[in-house]
Formats: sequence, structure tokens, C-alpha cells
Amino acid sequence: MKLMTVNHIKFALNSIRQSRWRSLMTMLGVIIGISSVVTIVSLGEGIKHQIVGQINNLGNNLITVRPGSINTNTTSGALSFLNIFAGLNDSNLLTIHDTQIIQQIPSVQLAVPLSIISGPIQVNQQVYDTIPVIGSTSDIPTVLHQTLEYGVFYSNNSSVTNGAVLGQNVANELYPSTSALGHSFSFHGESFVVVGVLNQFDIAPLSIDADFNNVIFIPYSVAQQIDPNSAPLYEILVKPTHLSSTNSVVNKIQTNLLAAHHGEQNFTVFTQADELTAANKILNLLTELIGAIAAISLLVGGIGIMNVMLVAVTERTQEIGIRKALGATNRQIVNQFLTEAIVISTYGGLLGIIVSVLINLTLRILTNLQPALSWQVMLLATVVSVMVGIIFGSMPAIKAARKDPIDALRYQ
Amino acid sequence: MAIIELHDVSKLYGFGDATALALDEINLDVLEGEFIAIMGPSGSGKSTLMNIIGLLDRPTYGSYMLSNRSVAKLRPNQRARIRRDKIGFVFQSYNLLPKLTVIDNVALPLAYRGVSPVRRLKLANTMLDRIGLAERQYFMPRQLSGGQAQSVAIARALINNPAIIIADEPTGNLDSDSSLLIMELLSEIHNMGTTILLVTHNAELTRYATRVLFMSDGAIVHEEFTNLGELAPSFRRSTYTLTVKTEDDDLAGVSALMKAIPAVEAPPQKRTTKQSNHWRKKTKTNRRRS
Repeated sequence: MKLMTVNHIKFALNSIRQSRWRSLMTMLGVIIGISSVVTIVSLGEGIKHQIVGQINNLGNNLITVRPGSINTNTTSGALSFLNIFAGLNDSNLLTIHDTQIIQQIPSVQLAVPLSIISGPIQVNQQVYDTIPVIGSTSDIPTVLHQTLEYGVFYSNNSSVTNGAVLGQNVANELYPSTSALGHSFSFHGESFVVVGVLNQFDIAPLSIDADFNNVIFIPYSVAQQIDPNSAPLYEILVKPTHLSSTNSVVNKIQTNLLAAHHGEQNFTVFTQADELTAANKILNLLTELIGAIAAISLLVGGIGIMNVMLVAVTERTQEIGIRKALGATNRQIVNQFLTEAIVISTYGGLLGIIVSVLINLTLRILTNLQPALSWQVMLLATVVSVMVGIIFGSMPAIKAARKDPIDALRYQ
Repeated sequence: MAIIELHDVSKLYGFGDATALALDEINLDVLEGEFIAIMGPSGSGKSTLMNIIGLLDRPTYGSYMLSNRSVAKLRPNQRARIRRDKIGFVFQSYNLLPKLTVIDNVALPLAYRGVSPVRRLKLANTMLDRIGLAERQYFMPRQLSGGQAQSVAIARALINNPAIIIADEPTGNLDSDSSLLIMELLSEIHNMGTTILLVTHNAELTRYATRVLFMSDGAIVHEEFTNLGELAPSFRRSTYTLTVKTEDDDLAGVSALMKAIPAVEAPPQKRTTKQSNHWRKKTKTNRRRS
């Protein structure tokens, strides 16, 4: 039996080679199904990995306070995640006063306000509209565990010049040919001098943190002068003195702010771990969705294989007759056609894996996503494609074996 | 010993009013080592008879004993195994698998018997060597001439050393030279003791047979024993070519006779009944011996 199987595999590979287009079209469903499953799983794994990496970079103990009510402890993570975005718009509820309240909590090392000011930036004659400017204090590099590539961070006390620190991408965008250091730009009528450029941040996709590579930091005091009436804070980053005190600090911030806001829960306090949970829930939901789509695609692909095998059985009726006349048993005929279906679907599965590897490479090159391909996923994909072949190849194979040898021999 | 015993074998096709009688109570005993030529018009049931003997089809009525064993109650897989081990088929249209090479085609029945690939190729190579096509073993069937393709088909039929070869008009698609080649091959196989059943429309080919059956409307209407190298008696009166037999020809065998036919110039020689009877007795004794 084994000896025959090797023969069947050779024969099947041969017939795939002889009708390349038809085989490719047959495999397409399986290729799409397998490649989408492998891609989405590796994307999910990669994103989780990146978020964990980011959290390790920022420090597990970083606490974020945002305006708006978000309950990150709900069981439906997806909804709470959507609320986080809603909170971003609702941005006039946190003030610098809240920062001071948090700063007064004993085990808080630093509380850094971040306020976003919109408006055009003018460099020489060119105007850039889309670069966010964040007003913050000089403690921000400490809180974010980030160092400067070159230059210095502005100090809180210097009121002589308006210093600005650029994220890496902004520096490249505004001053593509020269070093950004020492150049000036104007913003809301004020003139700023670039005093430093930050190193590249590892920014994870699906993360609710802003991409600090694309922002300009200016001193909070200057930001207040530019926009004095509200000075909206979009978040306050808090660093407790010890990792172990993170939870107690979260609780204290919660109670103190609640008191300050007259009992109104219009802010949210969350840690990096909460963020990870939320991202995980989204990823799992996404994986399930794409998994369902991939399952449908595999089903359609399987039906395609079944169809082509049925046609092949009819086309090769005479061959079946000859083989039966030469002494092939029904089981041997079943094996032949089943092997062929399995070879087609496995071939499709392997092509699907290759496609997903290519997609992964493209994503790595073109985006900041870092999908992680694991051999377990590839093995699972291969097994699934073999299963598709077995499930959808059985019916045509049995049909082939049941053919009457005489009718089959006479078939033209 | 009779290798094939058919007793009152009938085959019906269709139902009710549309029933057609393909075989009508056939009784036939085939001894081991016989070379039987079956003749008859189209639709006389020759192929149906071959299919039943070759275990491709089942009789509607009657009993069929193959090697003293009833095959009526065998399951399809058992029948397949008997086809594989005991029966070799040679078809009019060669029926080689077009996508397999010559050697793979010849080795196919061995594969169904579970012979290892290396041994398979070795045996197939030997067989191709015997039919003189060893140098074409990696050709595809479409690259062969008709005669070569039929030779390959015969090699494939022989590879499992079957006791019976069923050849359904093996020369039907071939020119006379290729037919000669194929008949020589079958004759050689017959000489080695294999039972051969040959369906043909060509009266000339009855020279190779030891017995000729005439079929009409599903029944065997006439039966003649004939000598190797001679036409069946029924054809002697109607054919244009008659043989000149010399002692040298006898020694050279059937092939020499066939070669001599186109060049016949001598006037037809009248054969005495005594001579014929003598030949007939000889064949009978041969049969008894086997």
C-alpha cells in the first residue's frame, strides 16, 4: 500500500504540473484560506509581542490618567477599548490642578501633564498642518524611559528661549537634509528653537498611546501661554516610586480625583497591564472574525477541489476502467484519487504559507507591525490543508472506485 | 484440464420490453494451453463473452468455473485480484495510460500486487527486453507506433505471468506488418503454455489458433479444431491465399509461413482429408497430454 502511495503522489504532482492553471485555480481557495489564517495569527502574536515590549520599555509601573469615563475592568474588553477613543475627544475635563493633586500623593514620583495644541507649524516658508504639538514638562523623558539622540531637553525654568524637542519622524520630516538641532520654527506666532531630538520610540500598533515619534514637545508653561483659557490635558502620566506601589497609587489617584471632581467619574486611571488586556481582547476578537472568514474560504476551496476531482474522475473514466481491468481493487482506486486531492490541497496549503510569509515580509518592510510567524501555526495550517483534502476528496474518490469496469472501459 | 468452464451462461441487458440477449446459454470448456480464435459479426456477443471470462462482467444466468473454482460469489475485490494475477487483457485500442511512460505502464499490474518499485522496474525492463522494446522504455505511449504500443500492452498483460490472455481484436487498429508482429508475439506466448482467447475479424489469424469458435446472436454456432499454421477449414474454400507447406516451413514454424504468404506463386495444393485428420489427432493428443 505504501509503495502505491508514493506512486500516486508522483502521479498527482505530475498532473498538477501538466495543468498548472487549472491546479492553481483549484488551490486558490485553500491558498487564500491558509494564508489569511497564518497571517492573522502571526499578526496577532506579533502585536501582542510588541505591546508587551512597549510596556517593558515604558515600565510596568506607568499609570495613565485620561479624561472621560472608561471602565477598563469590564469583561467586554472591546467596548472599553472603543470608549478610550471616545475619551480622547472629551478633552477639557482634566486640568493642571489635577496634576498637582496627583503629585501630592506620597508614593508618586512624577506626574507629567500632556496637553495637545493644534495649529500650523511654519518652517521657513513651508507650513505643516498635521503635526501635533504637546505641551509637557521636562520630566517626560524620565517617565517615558526615553533618551535624546542629540541635544538636550528643555528645562522647566528657562523662560529665555522657547525650546522644543522633536520626535524622530518629525525631525526627519521638517529638516530632511540637515540636522534639526538649532533650527527654528514658528507656531501660533511664537518662535521655537529645536534644542533636542528624541530617540526612536518603539510604538506598538493597537496601542492607545500616542505615537511620540510624530510629535513636537514644547514646555507646558509655553503651551499655557499660547492657549491660556483651557489648556486641555489629554492625559497625565504618573510614575510611582516603586513598582509594588502601583496599585495603591492607582486607588489613591482614583479617590483623590473623584473628590476633586465632586464625585463625578469623568476620568479614567489605568495601568499598562490594563492596556494589554484591552488590546488582547481586541486581537482575540479580530482573530476569531478572520478565522471565521478563513474557514469559509477553506470550505469554498474544499468544494472547488471536490468539483475539480469530480471532473477529473469523469475525464479519467477510461483510465479507471483500464486500472480495474489490470487488477486495481476499489480501495486502490480510492487511494489514488484521495491522494491526488490531498496533494492538491496540501500543495495549496504550502503555497498559502509561502504567501503569508511574503505578506509578513511586506508588512515588516512597509509598516511598523512586526508579525511573528511560528512553526506551530505553519504546522497547523499544513494539517488543516491535508484535512481539507481528505474531507473533500473522499466523495469523488469513492465515486471513482464504484465505477463499473466495463462501462468505464467503454467510456470515450 | 479445463481452465475455463462455462455452463449455460446467459447475459441479459436492460429491463422489461427493452431486454436484449447478449449471450444465449453458452457452454464452453477451454483447456489449458489452447489458443482459441473467436469470430463472428459485430454484436454477436464476442466481447461480452470475453468480459465475462475476464471477470469484468457477471453472467445473468449460468455458472462459470475458473480453474475449477466458481467465481459467482466472489466479491469485487477478489475478482480484481484474480484479474490481476490470472488474466491478462489486450485491447484493440491498446489502452495504455497516456501519462505514464512505457515502463511504468508495463509495471502497473505489479504495483497493484505490491511489488517494490525497484523490482517492478527490473521485471518490466526484462519484459520489454523480451518484446524488443527495451530501448523505448522511457518513451510516452503517444511516441510509439501502433504495433509498438500493442506490444507494450501485451508486455503489460504478461507481466504477472497470467494463465489466460484475453485479446479483444488486438490487431484491429494495426496494419498487416504490425499485425504479424503482434500475432507472432501471441504465438510465442502460446508456445510457453499460456491459454489465449483471441477475438478477431481477420480469418488469416485463425492460422495461429488451435480452435476457432463462430458466434452469432449470442450463441456459439460452430466450432472447428484447426492445426497451427493452417486456416480454419471453413475459410479454406473462401480465401485467396493458400499455403504451400514444406518440411522446411514446418521446421521454421508459423512465422515463416506468414512471411511466405504474399509471395505465393505455386498453384494451390489439394489437401487430403487423411492429412487433416492426422493433424487433428495430433492436436487432440497434445491437449490430452496437457
